[in-house]
Amino acid sequence: MSELSTEAPAQSGKPTIFFDGVSSRKRQVTLTLGDALEIAEEGGTPVSWVYADIRRADSPAGILRLASTSAPSLARLEIRDAALAADVTIRCMRLDEHQTSRRGVAKIVGWSMAAAVSIVCVVLFGVPLAADRLAPLVPKPIERRIGDASEVQVKTIFGSSGCEDPAGKAAFKKLVNRLRDAAGLDDDAMTAGVLPSAIPNAFALPGGKVFVLNALIDKAENPDELAGILAHELGHLKHHDNMRGLIYNGGTSFLIGLLFGDVTGSSAVIFASRSVVEASYSREAETAADTFAIDIMHALGRSPKPAAELMFRITGKEGGGLASILASHPLTEDRLARMTKEDRPASGPPLLTDTEWQALKGICGSGKI
Amino acid sequence: MNDMQWAPIGSEPLPPPLPPTRVDFTGDRSAFRKMVTKGAMLELVTFGFYRFWLVTDIRRHLWSDTAIDGDAAEYTGRAKELLIGFLVALAILVPIYLAYFLVGIEFERWQGFASTPLFISFYAFGQFAIFRARRYRLTRTVWRGVRFWMDGSGWLYSFRAMAWGLLVFLTLGIALPWREASLERYKMQHTHYGDLRGDFEGDGWTFFKRGWWLWLLTPLALLFFPAAPFVYAEFKAREWRWWLDGIRIGGVSLSSQLPHNAFYGLYWKVIGWWLLLSVVYSAYVAGAIALAVKISGLPVAQALGPGNAAKSIPMLVMMVIGYFALALAVNIIMRVYLQRDLWAKVLETVEVHNIGAAADVRGSGELASALGEGFADGLDVAGF
Repeated sequence: MSELSTEAPAQSGKPTIFFDGVSSRKRQVTLTLGDALEIAEEGGTPVSWVYADIRRADSPAGILRLASTSAPSLARLEIRDAALAADVTIRCMRLDEHQTSRRGVAKIVGWSMAAAVSIVCVVLFGVPLAADRLAPLVPKPIERRIGDASEVQVKTIFGSSGCEDPAGKAAFKKLVNRLRDAAGLDDDAMTAGVLPSAIPNAFALPGGKVFVLNALIDKAENPDELAGILAHELGHLKHHDNMRGLIYNGGTSFLIGLLFGDVTGSSAVIFASRSVVEASYSREAETAADTFAIDIMHALGRSPKPAAELMFRITGKEGGGLASILASHPLTEDRLARMTKEDRPASGPPLLTDTEWQALKGICGSGKI
Repeated sequence: MNDMQWAPIGSEPLPPPLPPTRVDFTGDRSAFRKMVTKGAMLELVTFGFYRFWLVTDIRRHLWSDTAIDGDAAEYTGRAKELLIGFLVALAILVPIYLAYFLVGIEFERWQGFASTPLFISFYAFGQFAIFRARRYRLTRTVWRGVRFWMDGSGWLYSFRAMAWGLLVFLTLGIALPWREASLERYKMQHTHYGDLRGDFEGDGWTFFKRGWWLWLLTPLALLFFPAAPFVYAEFKAREWRWWLDGIRIGGVSLSSQLPHNAFYGLYWKVIGWWLLLSVVYSAYVAGAIALAVKISGLPVAQALGPGNAAKSIPMLVMMVIGYFALALAVNIIMRVYLQRDLWAKVLETVEVHNIGAAADVRGSGELASALGEGFADGLDVAGF
């Protein structure tokens, strides 16, 4: 290292500027490249930077901007002369030590992959397991509270007055009670009602609430058809499917959102992958509820097939393509096929008498939706 | 008072003020494009975790190539801070989400859908996050060896933003200029450069006068699509110019001559790329379907019809891959045009007056944590 030749370029070339990191004053300085980098301002106290402490700071092209780990953190030395910059650069061995290197990027990629794999595993195996184990443990009062909340919502949508025709109600109660006894659900654990609506459907809410929409009763041709569907909903109650779904959906939404962050700038991927994952989980639950319904109907000595026929009349043939991957229920034709296989001649008494059935059909009063 | 800066220079016998200095942006466009392309790819393979590094690189690039009065700024924030901020924010947000859920249930029990207004609390939290994220970015902004910093309360800011937001809602948007003026005043008055204090002198009325007719045109633009980018570009250009004209830091002031049509080109280029990419993606999907049908060897109706779910899985995979490629391309385009080009376009119109007031400023202010950025990321309200 020739110490004599190094001072010359600083004067001949473009100015070297120093900011001491305490004030914004621009100081024109001269550099001496000795054992350490000596920074001298005319009339000011000289500053000395050890080469090993010098690090490169971000700068526009054509300026070498330096910082020192042992100086105030914002002190900056700006060298605009290319020759001088080169001279200083070769002396600073650890100039770029703090920058993200290729290895650093590889490390980020590696850790992200590991995180992603673990999140995917949790979504596929951990969350369903947690949902299955936790759902039965949710205290009854909490489940009922959630159920009450959803009931209020449901009533806001379908109108607050349920269908109250006394004879129809008695028939409905009889049907529900027979199914409930066969299902082995507690007496106080469930309530059931009929709501006026033009949509043929039935659903279970947390806390043992089952609602049948009136249009389903209109479309049903005999008590067995309706009973099979009610039994299916009781299956959901028995399996705590609502709470399981709640825990499961909450968990997967959170984790998948965490996984993708804002990589696409939209939530389309999150939505799509959630739909696929959740639909498959929900199809499993529906199949289990069907199994339950089949068992109950057999226990009562009735066939489960009519219920599937009713569903088929409502939905028609669904099948195929992408829709079946996203469907929340098994395809109606598959359910019909399954229940047809379980078809047995009736061995028990009819669930309702003809008069009761007629009364049930009129539970919402005639002419109402 | 606001018009003082427009007085022709040298018309008074007083000692002439120094001529305004310019802001120079010297960033290399192709280097930026390469950086965001590589970053977008890494974002894909890291499932988005690379975003902290990419956003830091983008800021470092933009800051260090922006020179005021010949001296370039510097961004000293690092990606690890953002990552940690995000993780801490997550740890705080999770219990909040849970509490939100439980309170929501109690509200729903009381009345159907009564919990909907609770959603507003997340909006308020988002405003808080915006303020705190700005504080983080500002304390990482260094010029001439002195950092910018910020005081003020994120919650007070959030309250202001909410109250003004309600007013804007009630007046169908008329109050927007006054909202922006008020919020900007709060932000700038709590902004400091060393021992200089910031201020904002733009007022809502000026902004309103410059853009009220755009408000009238908005319903039209919503109905007639091609008009929308023009209306939005006009609005953004006027907003930027009004905002820059109002900024003061100590004795230093900014002004901008940003033309009203400055962003037409940018927005239409983005839309053009969008259309092109949509066409390419549609062609790709059509090709994928055709290929799937051909491989299955069945007539079209049957191959796509019921009962062939299993066979459509390769097609689904191809579509997902195509979607990711599309997202990647859109990501790059948005960053190149709407961040880098917009930055350059705005800066070339800016003039800085009386920069001498910042010649000897004492450094002060503490570094703020990246928690605010974490919240902003977690709530999806992140800006630059």
